[in-house]
Amino acid sequence: MNPAHLDYDILADLAEGLLEDDRAASVNAHLDTCAECRDRSADLADVSRILAEAPVPSMPAELAERIDTAIAAESLNNATVVSMEQRRGRRHWRILSAAAAAVVVLGGGTVVGKIALDGSDGGDHQSAARSPVQDAEKDRGASAQGAAPPSNRAMSSPSYTVSHSGTDYRAGTLPSQVEKLLGTGTAPRADGIAPDPRLTDCVAGVTHGRTPQLVDQATFEGRQATVIAVRGGPKSWNVWVVGPDCTAQDPHLLTEAKA
Amino acid sequence: MTSLSMRADEVSDKELLARHAQGDPHAFAELVHRHRDRMWAVALRTLGDPEEAADALQDACLSAFRAAGRFRGDAAVTTWLHRIVVNACLDRIRRKSVRPATPMGDDATFDAVAPKMPDPTDAHGVSLDVHTALLQLPFEQRAALVLVDMMGYSVDDAAQVLEVPPGTIKSRCARGRARLAPLLVQHRNRRDPRNVGGVEGGGMPR
Repeated sequence: MNPAHLDYDILADLAEGLLEDDRAASVNAHLDTCAECRDRSADLADVSRILAEAPVPSMPAELAERIDTAIAAESLNNATVVSMEQRRGRRHWRILSAAAAAVVVLGGGTVVGKIALDGSDGGDHQSAARSPVQDAEKDRGASAQGAAPPSNRAMSSPSYTVSHSGTDYRAGTLPSQVEKLLGTGTAPRADGIAPDPRLTDCVAGVTHGRTPQLVDQATFEGRQATVIAVRGGPKSWNVWVVGPDCTAQDPHLLTEAKA
Repeated sequence: MTSLSMRADEVSDKELLARHAQGDPHAFAELVHRHRDRMWAVALRTLGDPEEAADALQDACLSAFRAAGRFRGDAAVTTWLHRIVVNACLDRIRRKSVRPATPMGDDATFDAVAPKMPDPTDAHGVSLDVHTALLQLPFEQRAALVLVDMMGYSVDDAAQVLEVPPGTIKSRCARGRARLAPLLVQHRNRRDPRNVGGVEGGGMPR
């Protein structure tokens, strides 16, 4: 290469404004007369463009799930410690809700982030309309001072009804059975029975406050059970099968699946 | 806080972090959920190897979880998160103290670094070349270019992430671009026909 030509390092420094003034002036003077060096200068600009245009990879689903699980496990420890030390008024609730989060994570890690927003902090459900962000702080104060213990997450009447589809769910076919009920768009709303308080509590605990697309009091492997499904994506559901004495505290989880 | 009136995008990152620091067991997961693709991109691009990047990212998330109480509000949460990710990547590299680059070749790596897209401009091929070329750089240059050129950080923000002066970022970017230029030259859009095969145009390696 002609030693008078400029190398990429000098040109890159020029572009970043890193050259001393007199050096920059001489480099610019050379560029004015040298098409080859202008071309090399353009190569550098293209490096930035090529880098910028590289598509951002999405986090693989398995990794997302793995990280959600790790966070939930950490969260469980953390919640216990925090509640013991500082939040005595909310202690019970925090432990429970962390436990519920861990359960949900096992079932479908990738939905956890969403769940977290959809009703995670039960203590505040009673007061609906106000500026949420600013009031968060006061709110916490109020609950921590022992306002109504936030044990019942579903104060307002639930927006779903309970089905009795008569399905005998089987472990091997659970996803397809749920999918069949839900996927056809003809979810068995027929009986339209409102859930009793225990079931409401159970469902809120299992789904972590999300509205289920399906709460079916049926049987699982021949035993009485409730099948709960929450939408996990455009065409997917997270499914939990719980025993008849399920509560938020102890869901009696029989199995869970993704459909 | 109210499930009825609150939507995801109404809660700021800082608010989520504050809630987490106060013991909300879900706030942190949401924060990660929100930024995970970009965090993943930073880890994958600075380390090059998907498995290493996955481990680094998990380390980073747990560090961030534990360190959240020490977050000072003077930086953006994403800056803070990315700093933790980059540091976790650097830890991985130091621990291995072998060369960071892993040989390319398995499908998992290809898919991770170069998502296949129905793209007539062959983004897949470009991504692979970008990935391979980046691995030729020292970690510091690579991290600077990942943040500034790939993730669109300003020099000042990248300086905050990497905790070095802005001038250092500029110089690392300049060094990195100078090294990448000959490696990526075949992907240039030489719009000016005068340049195509002009002078001694294709004289660069590859």
